[in-house]
Amino acid sequence: MSIKLANVFYTYMTGTPFERQALNDVSLTIAKGEILAIIGHTGSGKSTLVQHLNGLIKPLRGKVTINDIDIAGRGSEAKAARQQVGMVFQYPEHQIFAETVYDDIAFGPRNRGFSAEEVDKQVREAMSFVGLDFETFAERSPFQLSGGQMRRVAIAGVVAMNPDYLVLDEPSAGLDPRSRNAVFKEIMALHKERGIAIVLVTHSMEEAAKYAHRMIVINKGKILFDGKPADIFSNHKDELIAVGMDEPPIYKLSVTLRAKGLEIAAGITDVGELVKNIKKVKGWR
Amino acid sequence: MISIKELKHYYTDADGKEVKALDGIDLDIKKGEFVAIIGANGSGKSTLARHLNALLLPTAGTCTVGGLDTMEESNMWDIRQQVGMVFQNPDNQIVAAIVEEDVAFGPENIGVPNEEIRPRVERALAAVGMSDYAKHAPHLLSGGQKQRVAIAGLMALEPQCIVLDEPTAMLDPQGRKEIVATVKSLNQDKGITIVYITHYMTEALAADRVVVMEKGHIRFMGTPKEVFCRVDELEKLGLEAPLAAKVASELRKSGIKLPKDIITDEELAQALCP
Repeated sequence: MSIKLANVFYTYMTGTPFERQALNDVSLTIAKGEILAIIGHTGSGKSTLVQHLNGLIKPLRGKVTINDIDIAGRGSEAKAARQQVGMVFQYPEHQIFAETVYDDIAFGPRNRGFSAEEVDKQVREAMSFVGLDFETFAERSPFQLSGGQMRRVAIAGVVAMNPDYLVLDEPSAGLDPRSRNAVFKEIMALHKERGIAIVLVTHSMEEAAKYAHRMIVINKGKILFDGKPADIFSNHKDELIAVGMDEPPIYKLSVTLRAKGLEIAAGITDVGELVKNIKKVKGWR
Repeated sequence: MISIKELKHYYTDADGKEVKALDGIDLDIKKGEFVAIIGANGSGKSTLARHLNALLLPTAGTCTVGGLDTMEESNMWDIRQQVGMVFQNPDNQIVAAIVEEDVAFGPENIGVPNEEIRPRVERALAAVGMSDYAKHAPHLLSGGQKQRVAIAGLMALEPQCIVLDEPTAMLDPQGRKEIVATVKSLNQDKGITIVYITHYMTEALAADRVVVMEKGHIRFMGTPKEVFCRVDELEKLGLEAPLAAKVASELRKSGIKLPKDIITDEELAQALCP
């Protein structure tokens, strides 16, 4: 069970003076059940890459397969494969359109031809997953909700499609810290309880370090690094900064403390853990 | 520069319910000051920002900019020339196909004489460090560069004050650093008054003063040090103190004696290893 990109090339506006190569020979396997973070500066090719994952963009050269099915095909098999990948775009609240929260979330399942009972079940499950109380919110207009709540409605709409893979393009952009944490709590629960693979496009080094099992760094349409976030952040700091990325704040703090002689362990991504570690090396209990 | 007195902004939502977006704000911003505004989504930050250049008008109370009352319709154009706004999405703020034309759009529009436009555009691009890109196409720039072009477009109008509403929300780490550095230099070198709305507490560290909002009220304000050492209160408001302040607070809670005003990594390191 995996999504495979094999030697994918993509160029925007081919044959015009504005031609721009966005992906340059990208090969990548995303396994079911993993959490993959994709980082890279604006224009590096991240969004182009993720739009290949469900066939929104077809590769100019190369192939994208889901469980060995070429998703560029026209048949029902290829269509079913593409539907296994749910996409939550940047600012998904801008894609909300229905009059009630219920109708917005039900749009996908209804479109797939599910029965009314099945749709109802999916909507209820999706709402409870993203922490929106059914009684309170189902009949509300989504446009009356806060930014964080609207974003959860949009995510619920994708969750209701029951995807195996969930692609999120900067799900926390523009949210305050509390809403950011809340959105991630739900994403992690989806991963844990349903085994959905998460592909997270982010500008936040902190999120990549904290949540992802694996991270790829894209630069100029190529994969620059592919590995564990902790390894990449610890071993390639200068290269990351050179391509517009950075260290997560907690790494920065750990480095500053180590420079002062405190033997802080490498790869800590959690505040509580860092506090414990400081106490340990200082001999405080 | 800006004086806000008992400012209220109420409106009726689609369900006929009255929403108190701002509910009695008192705030004075001095000329040349750099003020950061933080607060959860829906706390009223953006509503407040939109009063500063008369995009919104008070339900009650007053907002005066350089002595001009925003309620006075005849003041509107003067106020908007004094106070420029930058928004989240750089792509929505660019109008021309060449960077220098984009920057020239504002001054052309307000009837600046032709011979003065070019020097203004050059000065504005230099101020944001984008002179080398004058002939480039804006859509091929990075997010941070686009946002700097948007700021240059305001600078060409020679404003007194620039209001930025989450200007880095869509930017990568490099772009975020560029914007903070640009804003800081406009403030320090050109004396531009800055009002900077952000969800990134580390960016607010660059300000002279931080204003914390919740539910249409100002809950507290002060220097970054005064505000960011109130770790628990910030958390209750849905915000987050900078990492070093958080770690220091956790250590203090377990009985370790540390100075109260630690907010940067260096200060924490210094306190732990004197």
